[in-house]
Amino acid sequence: MAIIERPDVAPATVTPSVPALATPTTTLGVFKRPVSSTGWRSWLFTVDHKKIGLMYGAVALFFLVVGGVQALLIRLQLAAPDGKILSADLYNQMFTMHATTMVFLFIMPMAAAFANYMIPLQVGARDVAFPRINAFGFWTFLAGGLLLNASWFLGGAADGGWFMYAPNSGPIFSPSNGVDFWALGLQVTGIASLTSAINLIVTILNMRAPGMSLMRMPIFTWLMLVTQFLLLFAMPVITVALFLLIFQRSFGATFFDVAAGADPLLWQHLFWIFGHPEVYIIIMPAFGILSEVLPVFSRKPLFGYPFVVFSGAAIGFVGWGVWAHHMFASGMGPVSVAVFSVATMAIAVPTGVKVVNWTMTMWGGKLHFTVAMKFAIAMVLIFTIGGLSGVTHSVAPSDTQQTDTYYIVAHFHYVLFGGGVLGLFAGFYYWWPKVFGKCLNERWGNWNFWWMVIGMNMTFGPMHILGIQGQPRRMYVWTEARAGEGFFNLGFWNLIATLGAFVLAIGVLFFLLNIWYTAKRQPQAPLDPWDARSLEWMTQNPPKEHNFDTIPTVHHLDEFFHRKYALDENTHELTQVRTAEEVLAGEEAKADAHIHLPSPSYWPLVLSSSFLFIGFGVVYTPVLMVLGGAIAILGLYGWALEPSVAEPTDYDPPSGSDGGTMKELTPVG
Amino acid sequence: MTHALRRLRGAALTGAGLLVLASCAKDAPQDFFQPAGPNAQKIDNLQKPVFYTAGVVGLIVIAAVMYSVVKYRDRGQPLPEQTHGKPALEIGLTILPALILAVIGTFTARTIFDLAKEGDTEMVINVTGQQWWWEYDYPVQTGYGIAKPIITSGQIVFPVDTKVLLRVTSRDVIHSYWIPKLNGKKDAVPGRVHTLRLEATQPGIYAGQCTEFCGLSHANMRMEAIALTKADFAAWAARQQQPQPMLTGDSPAALGQGVYIAQCARCHQLDGLTRPDGTPIISAPEDNVWSGAAPNMTHFASRNTFAGATWDLLTPQCRADVWHSDPGSFGAKYLKGVTPECLQQNDLREWLRNAPGKKPMYADPTKLEETGGLYRGMPYLGLTEDDIDSLIAYLVTLK
Repeated sequence: MAIIERPDVAPATVTPSVPALATPTTTLGVFKRPVSSTGWRSWLFTVDHKKIGLMYGAVALFFLVVGGVQALLIRLQLAAPDGKILSADLYNQMFTMHATTMVFLFIMPMAAAFANYMIPLQVGARDVAFPRINAFGFWTFLAGGLLLNASWFLGGAADGGWFMYAPNSGPIFSPSNGVDFWALGLQVTGIASLTSAINLIVTILNMRAPGMSLMRMPIFTWLMLVTQFLLLFAMPVITVALFLLIFQRSFGATFFDVAAGADPLLWQHLFWIFGHPEVYIIIMPAFGILSEVLPVFSRKPLFGYPFVVFSGAAIGFVGWGVWAHHMFASGMGPVSVAVFSVATMAIAVPTGVKVVNWTMTMWGGKLHFTVAMKFAIAMVLIFTIGGLSGVTHSVAPSDTQQTDTYYIVAHFHYVLFGGGVLGLFAGFYYWWPKVFGKCLNERWGNWNFWWMVIGMNMTFGPMHILGIQGQPRRMYVWTEARAGEGFFNLGFWNLIATLGAFVLAIGVLFFLLNIWYTAKRQPQAPLDPWDARSLEWMTQNPPKEHNFDTIPTVHHLDEFFHRKYALDENTHELTQVRTAEEVLAGEEAKADAHIHLPSPSYWPLVLSSSFLFIGFGVVYTPVLMVLGGAIAILGLYGWALEPSVAEPTDYDPPSGSDGGTMKELTPVG
Repeated sequence: MTHALRRLRGAALTGAGLLVLASCAKDAPQDFFQPAGPNAQKIDNLQKPVFYTAGVVGLIVIAAVMYSVVKYRDRGQPLPEQTHGKPALEIGLTILPALILAVIGTFTARTIFDLAKEGDTEMVINVTGQQWWWEYDYPVQTGYGIAKPIITSGQIVFPVDTKVLLRVTSRDVIHSYWIPKLNGKKDAVPGRVHTLRLEATQPGIYAGQCTEFCGLSHANMRMEAIALTKADFAAWAARQQQPQPMLTGDSPAALGQGVYIAQCARCHQLDGLTRPDGTPIISAPEDNVWSGAAPNMTHFASRNTFAGATWDLLTPQCRADVWHSDPGSFGAKYLKGVTPECLQQNDLREWLRNAPGKKPMYADPTKLEETGGLYRGMPYLGLTEDDIDSLIAYLVTLK
């Protein structure tokens, strides 16, 4: 059997339909395919969706720590009146970059990590549709992240808030290069998001295992499909907006310049037409994870699967019609305000449907309180609170009181942290054995869970009170003079929020320690540790590089569960008929003789690196832009001209005529 | 396990309770659940039922989840039926919230249009935001005793039970005007004029703050809305229209007037100042400040805060006396302005020593490349302590 990184070149599999010109076998000897399957090269040049997923995850986790430290500094500054930890300038950079980091460099790439790793496994594919574009997506995201954070060392980070309203983002009002790096960095991460969205859409639509109709698709993949469509249409909008901003700052354009006849509200509309779908881009992956975890640990199928699917799609559509609810105070006029107010209420309905379905999934089940399940239950509860405070914002006159106060900060942290991040953590605990072959330690996991959930409520709960008491957002100090007296004194609740932030940080620290402990001490996990239901569990932990020995044929939603369990004809009770090992052995017995896998490539990395040069070039000197352009062209030519597979003689030892050798896989966990 | 989850439920319930209690907090000057005028009251009438409804729905969901957690934990029961849903229940639970929201939506739309009405306006004040203070400009309105325009800053003063229409704009970046007890907020956008209604039913002082992030000193851009009885407002307006007399002699205040003319009058207009030849001194802030304006100082000491309503000119005791006075005596106390026995000059002194050190502003002459040398905010003036002494002596005479 042919193996990974060493693609099968047996004549039988090279079909005549492969156009010879597009995939020359030798091209000047320069454009070779890399062959390493171990060591750093195997990561740098990989096109394996699982390795790319892991790299997304590792980088995202790093940025969680970065964004977390920024959050702690913000909370320290606000712990007492007239805080002195940060200057006004540094504070403004800190909250701008905290939001930017958490949204664009933590939650989105972490969702991409789950999507990359799990979607091909869940649909029964061996990789994504465009493996090189997948690698390009990751390296481009990393280049964007580096550009964004380079600003810290080059005169200060962006200081206009993550929403970067014009004209405060212009060169007059933000003279450092922070906003330039911010705009360029986001532009580049946007390219990454866009390409991986297209890649995943094509993968999901075209590469599902035989028998997996759309309505038999695992719910995580479904909701990720909705997410990718949101990305596909939202990213171009922010791309346009960022181009206008970059031109305004770097080349003297006047798109938002009132003196030149422009209207600064243009930026707000562009930003929120992207920004509101972005909210669903952030939350939808967590919805998907939750909808996988709850059924597994309730031992019941997801309640109302079609309702969850269609309400997800409904959110995907209605999510485009509510952007101006971020602008109720911007002076749009009563007609616009009323329309967007009612549209925003409408989107609460499909979201409410999801909460009902999750609750009903647990109802009547047989609940196992693993750490993954605890995170999932906490997410349902906390997200519901955040969703309901969201309904109070949809009432526009009331929102003109709430907007830009801590009440809003409380709301979106309940939604994005309580919903999004807790969902991701449920995913970590649920899929860790799948990815690393070992379950995360449950004891450490419980510490992780309780500190995080209590810390989260301690930090963001009091912010509801702070907001109702009138504390605005984005203020580097608050004053005793406006703090009020008695139990609802701002001082007390600001202090509690700061303490909560540290409790929360300790919770995250327990997670990092758990990763370390699990790698060192945890035993190998059984094949099917959770008695799971979907296709990604119907292969080894971690999966072989080609995922499945044979592509399974799907007959049911929850295919894996139905292979293990059947109704007893006599008792009419659900009984186990096969173990997971037996199911897998049955699949392995039918292993495909020839497995085609994509070869690694140098060029995604080369092409992505050009963005770094172009980015620095826009800020500093056209010379770097030209150099970056040259690298991009080189990358594109290399990409186009490299052979479809490596020469058999490139391998050490050289490949035999059967195309490859077996390689042992060691769990990374 | 269930014990732990009960703790979670307890926390959730406590949180919901606190949220409701927050609406009856004691002396929170910017509490948006304590309306003090008809506009804020309309918002409050709308939002209270919504908050309660949301609370009830939240409790139902929490209860249902907790019930499942306790009732359906694995006690070795057989595998549950692999049911995929109950469409009737789901459709019902989709229609029910849709109906609740339809009711809320109807009242919301009504309130939106109600709050946007302008036809019955009784008084107009132009409000202009800039980094990092608000300017108030009263056009001529003889019915209220305003025979010539009044320009002031920091504290907006208006009569009670009067439908005041603010015409809000900005000279630089976007700001947002918010007096929580009187109305919701409205953004001040350069190049656009937005309207916002204010009306107070009782004389008093109502705190507010700029709520759209506007750069470095966003935190130091506050408002104080002063509602006076109609008679008190007439007195205030009459005095605001009077220029200040030129002082002569060598009293500290007269010396301070000299320092003012030499240092401050470049940007800060003070009506009544004249050159030796008798021509009026007109300040030209546009030559020095990017946004093109600086607060008018003519009646500086009639206000009791300065620098974007950020620092007090009154001692804590005098300040509390004004803020907490009953509606009947508020007007008289406010109209006294800054009296010598109530003057708290520490903050003012620090400000005059080095304004950008006290309130972060772009006033470093070496870093003004982008604005062509124009400041954003007040620069360091290099005043001596003697200058500052006499300047303060002069400023407190400006009532």
